[in-house]
Amino acid sequence: MSYLPSGIYHQSYEAEQTWWRTPFIKGKMIFMVVALLALPHVVGAQWVSVAYTINYYILAALGVQLLIGYCGQITLGHAAFVAVGAYCSAMMVLFVPWPKFLVDAGLAYPISVICAGIVAGLWSVLFGLPSARVKGFYLIMTTMAAQWITVPFVITQYVSRIGGRGHYFSLPPGTIKVGPWEIDSDTKVYYLSLVLVALCLLAMGNMVRSKVGRAWVAIRDNDIAAEAIGVNIIWYKLLAFFVAGFFAGIAGAFYISALSFVSPEHYEWFYSLLWVGIILIGGVGSIQGLVFGSVFVVMVFKLLEMGVLGLSGSLMETYPQLGWMTTKFIFFKESAFGLSVIFFLIYEPNGLAYRYWQVKNYFNLWPFSYMGKGA
Amino acid sequence: MEMFLQLFTTGVMLGSIYALVALGWVLIYKCSGVLNLAMGELTLIGGYVCLSLYQSFVGHGLPVHYAFILALIGTIITGLLLGLVTERLFLRKMIGEPILAVIMVTVGLSFFFKGMVFIVWDTDTQVFLPTVFPIDPIVVWGVAVGQVYLWSFVAAISLMIIFVSFFKYTRWGLSMQACADDEMAALSLGVSAKFVYALAWGIAFMAAGVGGTLLGNINGLNYSVSMLGLLVLPVVVFGGLNSIPGAIVGGITIGLLQNLSGGYLDQYFPGGIKEVAPFVFMVIFLLFKPFGLWGWERIERV
Repeated sequence: MSYLPSGIYHQSYEAEQTWWRTPFIKGKMIFMVVALLALPHVVGAQWVSVAYTINYYILAALGVQLLIGYCGQITLGHAAFVAVGAYCSAMMVLFVPWPKFLVDAGLAYPISVICAGIVAGLWSVLFGLPSARVKGFYLIMTTMAAQWITVPFVITQYVSRIGGRGHYFSLPPGTIKVGPWEIDSDTKVYYLSLVLVALCLLAMGNMVRSKVGRAWVAIRDNDIAAEAIGVNIIWYKLLAFFVAGFFAGIAGAFYISALSFVSPEHYEWFYSLLWVGIILIGGVGSIQGLVFGSVFVVMVFKLLEMGVLGLSGSLMETYPQLGWMTTKFIFFKESAFGLSVIFFLIYEPNGLAYRYWQVKNYFNLWPFSYMGKGA
Repeated sequence: MEMFLQLFTTGVMLGSIYALVALGWVLIYKCSGVLNLAMGELTLIGGYVCLSLYQSFVGHGLPVHYAFILALIGTIITGLLLGLVTERLFLRKMIGEPILAVIMVTVGLSFFFKGMVFIVWDTDTQVFLPTVFPIDPIVVWGVAVGQVYLWSFVAAISLMIIFVSFFKYTRWGLSMQACADDEMAALSLGVSAKFVYALAWGIAFMAAGVGGTLLGNINGLNYSVSMLGLLVLPVVVFGGLNSIPGAIVGGITIGLLQNLSGGYLDQYFPGGIKEVAPFVFMVIFLLFKPFGLWGWERIERV
């Protein structure tokens, strides 16, 4: 995908496929890890919550990227699987009679996270089953149906009523505990999200550079040709749905630690579309693109929020009738998101990852940039 | 039995509105190949435009019925203009792009429209006041039918007849048919594809606007109208994506199904079974007949 600095050539496929191909890349990665670990101590409290929101979007959109970017199965109902994960984890933490030693060791929540991933994965496979027969627009319809059936109906009408708690489950402080640490502050939530993102991106990266990933890419590029060369397309499509659902479940289970409650309005159709928008803005079929897209969308929302709220705050003193700007802020956000998706698709269809790749290669090949163009 | 007849007639009449909106959807797909997910927002915009026009006309002292008819005509004209502008600004650049990109442009449009509608008209439920249609139902052979439903049915059916005869007997309609059938051949015979796309979007906006107005008259206008507008998706999947008769039959079937499931299944599955039933039906139907009733089966070659 990307060019190496001039003068470096690999002798084997293993060397080409390794994570860190040159010492420079390794150094860059180590620097990035250090920077991410130090982040909460450098920036203010509101930016820590922005940072873990970015991580949550990365986790949630990871499955979307897998399905759309690597396997070519368009999904517009991913929030349903995130919701399944969130509810599964919350209910396991709240209602399962955990043995004392597990709770003391802080294992209840981690176990529930893994179970949430598996349950969400199976739920996703259930709605992936039609992909054996249909594709394109019809598959979009079934994934949308997954959204409509799961969130507004099953979860809102039935699951939320379990235990008679009304509309949402709240998680009392102290229930979410990972090992010896109780997840009770934004900083701890951020570190938890960082660990989960690192693990999931690692898993995803390894999957897409192995046999499974090559099979997915073959299906994406042409499923009939893939079948002809011996890829079991139904099995691999369902595997893609399972893994995507698994990541979604983990994302949902993570986010309850940040919110300390679960309610259906965090899993509306808007979010399904938001995550698809993130991968389109970032770049389809690229893990970096997923990260760029999440950062872009969350930062745009945050800056818009600061802009609109700040503007209306100062304007309100002179023009009190402008108070509607704050109450209707969420609609500005939605409109801005819609417009940015449209403009990215029209003017930058390859996404931010492609721009990043161009800039990086410009520096990699400098001062002989012309060598990289066609070759 | 009486309950069945009741649900049946109301379902058919509600379904005719869905059929009208689905007609616009199918038209866009047939002519330009765009799968439009913004249909719900188009119905929403139409409903609100008509409501504001109606209120301002009534405010100026026009009689209720004239005001409503004028507002409806105003909605149709606004819809046509909006459709032309939307097509020119956003969709024309997307011709020939991959399916996901085109779909996501319409999704982006739906976010944009939704945000704008709520900024302009707020989120509270608004109703047509004074009510356009008399509230007391008409009783035919023991079946009571609300006048709103009856008039919506009449309006939807007559608009559909106008549209279908437009395709069949006018020059523009014929050029749209030609473009849908074989774009290359149509282009070589001097049909302007740009004009056809613009016209398709204009007609879809008009149909959705009228549909939104009628739905708003039944239940009041709020965000749920756009959910009802999204029901065109099960409708077109059922009828086949590129079949106009399929859209009409599918619309009526889905309306019927929705009403019957609301009437009979709600006691077993309390909650929103009425909203979910069309989607469940759609998934099951897709497993058996992926191309709908009269859709073209696509044969792929490697």
